[in-house]
Amino acid sequence: MLLLLLVLLPLVGALALLFDKKRAWNIPLLTCSLVLALAIFGLKPVFGGGTISYTLNLPGPFAPVLQADPLTAIFVILAALLWFAVAIYAPKYMVHEGKVKFFELVTLLTYSAVLGVFLAGDLVTMLLFFELMTITSFFWVVHRWNREAIRAGYFYLFFSIIGGLLIALAIVFLGASAGLPLPLGAGRLTPSNPTLFAWAIGLLLAGFGIKGGMAPLHVWLPHAHSNAPTPGSALLSGLLIKVGAYGLIRVGELAGWGITLGAGTAWLSTTITLLGVLTMLIGVAAALLQGDGKRLLAYHSVSQMGYIILGIGVGLYLGPDGGLGLVGSVYHIVNHALFKATLFLGVGVIYIHTKETDLYKLGGLWRRFPVTAALMFLAALGIAGAPGLNGYASKTVLHHAVSAAAASGETWLIWVERLFNLVGIGTAASFAKLFYLIFLGKPTELEVAENESPRLQIAMGVLAAVMLTIGLAPQLFPNVLGLPAAESLGFAKLEPIPGSLFWNFTDLKGIAITLALGIGVCWAGLKSGAFHWHPPLWLSLEGLGGKVYLAVAFLWTKGIALYHSLTKGLGRAGRFLAGKVSAAYSDLVNPKDGAALTGISATAALLILTLLALIAWYTMINPVFNVVKIVLQW
Amino acid sequence: MINLILALLSGVVGALLTALIPAKNDRLRTTVVFAALASALIFSWRTALLVFAGAELELTFGLAGLTWRLAPDPLGAMFVLIASTLWLVAGLYSAGYMAGKRNLKSYYSFFLLANSITLGVACAGNLVALYLFYELLTLSTYPLVIHERSAEAVKAGAKYIIYSLSGAGALLAAIVITHALTGHSDFTSVPVLAGQTGKGLNWLLALFIAGFGVKAAIMPLHRWLPEAMVAPTPISALLHAVAVVYSGVYGIIRVVYTVFGPELMSSLTFAKALPWIASFTILVGVMIATRQDVLKKRLAYHTISQLSYILLGAFTLQPLGLSGAMLHMISYSLLKVTLFFCAGIIAEQTGETVVSRMGGVGWSLPKTMAAFGVASLGMVGMLPLNTFWSKYYLMRGGVASGSWPLALVLITSGIINAVCFIPTVVAAFKGESQGRVHLESGSSVSLMLVPTVLLAGISLLIGLWPGLVWDGVQAVVNSFF
Repeated sequence: MLLLLLVLLPLVGALALLFDKKRAWNIPLLTCSLVLALAIFGLKPVFGGGTISYTLNLPGPFAPVLQADPLTAIFVILAALLWFAVAIYAPKYMVHEGKVKFFELVTLLTYSAVLGVFLAGDLVTMLLFFELMTITSFFWVVHRWNREAIRAGYFYLFFSIIGGLLIALAIVFLGASAGLPLPLGAGRLTPSNPTLFAWAIGLLLAGFGIKGGMAPLHVWLPHAHSNAPTPGSALLSGLLIKVGAYGLIRVGELAGWGITLGAGTAWLSTTITLLGVLTMLIGVAAALLQGDGKRLLAYHSVSQMGYIILGIGVGLYLGPDGGLGLVGSVYHIVNHALFKATLFLGVGVIYIHTKETDLYKLGGLWRRFPVTAALMFLAALGIAGAPGLNGYASKTVLHHAVSAAAASGETWLIWVERLFNLVGIGTAASFAKLFYLIFLGKPTELEVAENESPRLQIAMGVLAAVMLTIGLAPQLFPNVLGLPAAESLGFAKLEPIPGSLFWNFTDLKGIAITLALGIGVCWAGLKSGAFHWHPPLWLSLEGLGGKVYLAVAFLWTKGIALYHSLTKGLGRAGRFLAGKVSAAYSDLVNPKDGAALTGISATAALLILTLLALIAWYTMINPVFNVVKIVLQW
Repeated sequence: MINLILALLSGVVGALLTALIPAKNDRLRTTVVFAALASALIFSWRTALLVFAGAELELTFGLAGLTWRLAPDPLGAMFVLIASTLWLVAGLYSAGYMAGKRNLKSYYSFFLLANSITLGVACAGNLVALYLFYELLTLSTYPLVIHERSAEAVKAGAKYIIYSLSGAGALLAAIVITHALTGHSDFTSVPVLAGQTGKGLNWLLALFIAGFGVKAAIMPLHRWLPEAMVAPTPISALLHAVAVVYSGVYGIIRVVYTVFGPELMSSLTFAKALPWIASFTILVGVMIATRQDVLKKRLAYHTISQLSYILLGAFTLQPLGLSGAMLHMISYSLLKVTLFFCAGIIAEQTGETVVSRMGGVGWSLPKTMAAFGVASLGMVGMLPLNTFWSKYYLMRGGVASGSWPLALVLITSGIINAVCFIPTVVAAFKGESQGRVHLESGSSVSLMLVPTVLLAGISLLIGLWPGLVWDGVQAVVNSFF
């Protein structure tokens, strides 16, 4: 019941909002507070072991199942926290974007769908909420309905629809290879048809990968996240892409956490690891070149999703020893949601006061927005991985997992570790750049409005407080929440993570070097103008995608033209034959002079002969179909 | 039994009365039309529910030296339910759409007559009766196709007649051969041709498929359908997306499951090719649809593609596939009628029939475009909509029959469907809402809007709770397997 209530509460809120004419209450904030309280207190027992589940017993082929295990609970509480912060922030912000009520409505509907995805107890229920989430969040992306927003909306919608269809196909394949239903949180499946099962896993990887912004399927993400109104961007980057990561963790569960993957699915861990690294690299490289604040943050979402995907991959790769990879991944999901949402909200504050997100036009704003600057500074330190903040904590866990994998001595894994450090430098550089260009540097020439409401900063402050708490006690989250989640997914009892994993000289030295190098890169990039470099179009995936699109459109058109000309030819042949028949018939009725002898024209004779031959041939090859017999019987 | 007879007669009586009422008396005609439609609906539902409950209804009489038999089984009952329900909905829509147009007497009288005949197709108990109703359906809907009496309409009508009658010719030959082989053609739980052997059966099957395939618009027998879109929108929606084309689809399912039977079918070579013929139609149909700029033509080509979904499910010869086919018969009809109704409202209220000029109409017609959007998502096969379930079962049927590429065909088609419809919906909300006239008020618009939104709502409901229609679907499947 609790689970159903969690999913339904935002819907009730949306309904209330729809019929609320007076706006006496702040319904979104009320709903979000209620859900947050309910999520924290209701789902607490889950971490003590045992799961909650609820089946809506509808007769027929679909009975939605909801369930909560520790992994679910982490995601639900995270979502509730983010939505709460955004509910504080949005009313003040959205006044500047317009269509406030519609936005709040969409936000509540999306909330319900997102909670549904996390709480779904089987794959079909999950797909239901997944698709609902796609549809409702689409309205965030196209909120402005201008050219740019509609383009981003198309990107978002088409990629998401394809993702959903791939998952549907995967469900069909899973059903055929491992039987239905397909419960989540119930461990791995034992397929009767390993090949089909492997295909299904691959399809799920692609389907959830699209949602999670996994390279090379991330193309839609920067467009969508930078075009949505800022509260929408914060939730898209903070939470909606995590749905993809959540899906990948569940895919891992279907294949098997905590075991060495069998021959049929062994490719899965290496593929996810490599795609994770690719995602990290592409995201950070593109982010460094962005001049627009929201686009920079959006590309960083791609890059940070790379960390998360990498963690999942390494966790699967290491089999029974992969606990750190999974825990690090979940940990980073939580941390990224916190700092990325804070960063987006901060950029939003600057936007509504200056109407600008182009970093090169901003500058020197820390005097006007000291609180925002301080909070942004915390969040930037967090994402860059400075010790004492949450990013350091999860990146360290991930780094230990990657090192453990690299210790196996395989060359490609050693390279994975090196690239891991490289991406850390890039991250530090791009956030040094973001912070420098907005708050430091020479003061902007734009007109800057007075800071209008402390509510905006309060929303950021809520998130920052949680970040600091996590950062100062980094072993708390994994030990209290992360390990039960990993154990419920299939790992054997895991050792608690000691504080010394974070507070040791090697790791601290490593991050100090990374940060210093990052600042160096940032300085060099800004001085040399390298950050203004625009890669040629063919190098970007959008450019390549455009080429592919043109090729498909060409084949499409030509194919249809070919089909049309074929059918036209058939039609012409038919008409020709029909003409001959009717001509022959008129010859019979009105014999031409030459044919008067017999009364049958040559054409008619030919036709009749052909027909007779056909009948004879038909009778010969088909004794059963004795045409004579048929005629006699009738 | 009495329910069945009354269901069949409601339309005929209504049509006769409508023909007798003076052309000017709109109010009386409307009353008669709705009384007839409502009575057809009530008695159809009673019949169908009886059949689903296991009752065996049968009515046999001899005439002209042949035995005529009416005996609805679950498959027929399913068709009866869909047809009679949508007829009433389309009647409501017609009341709004046709208000003030000319020649209403002939419109409504053939509209009602076609209702009876379609129910006859669904309830036919042997091939002879099925053939009679199938032919009558062509003749009774011809006046509706040429309702506008324009040159274009007459040409389309001619094409419709030629295609349909040629198909019927093939069908007649097939029925004669079947009769000669077995001496009867009654639909019973034992397939008509059970026990027959020989390669010639492949040709017989081909003849049947060609005969019914014209109305089911299997490529390349589809060309009449896009042309027939000159008919008034309610007719396009009801006849050319559901009733007439479903009679072809229904005929094919009959042939596959009642005349040949799954067992015999699985031994025929031609039967193995059938899923791929359907796949071809699915993909090429929707690909052509995407390139049509006239909305109704786009919908017509899309119909061609979607009908083959149902056929594909039937051709898999799997219980799962047939479940999918039945689900799709229900789901697709609801959504497609919605799409046509929306097209009609757009054309009536804004005068726009061409997709590329529909940018921004959504702000004037928000409810209409919302319904259009819901139906579009349904055509993609996304989850909160009923078509997900049909597609899901079709895919499972395809995989169960051993051909997983069939599932891939359906997914690909889903993506192309998205390309086909989603941009129309999104573009409809381009630009600003300011300065747009709201065009959704007035009684005739409400009469069109209510059935449209209703159908979209029902689709959503079935999507969330497929159990609503599941018992009927299972009754059909269990009657064949």
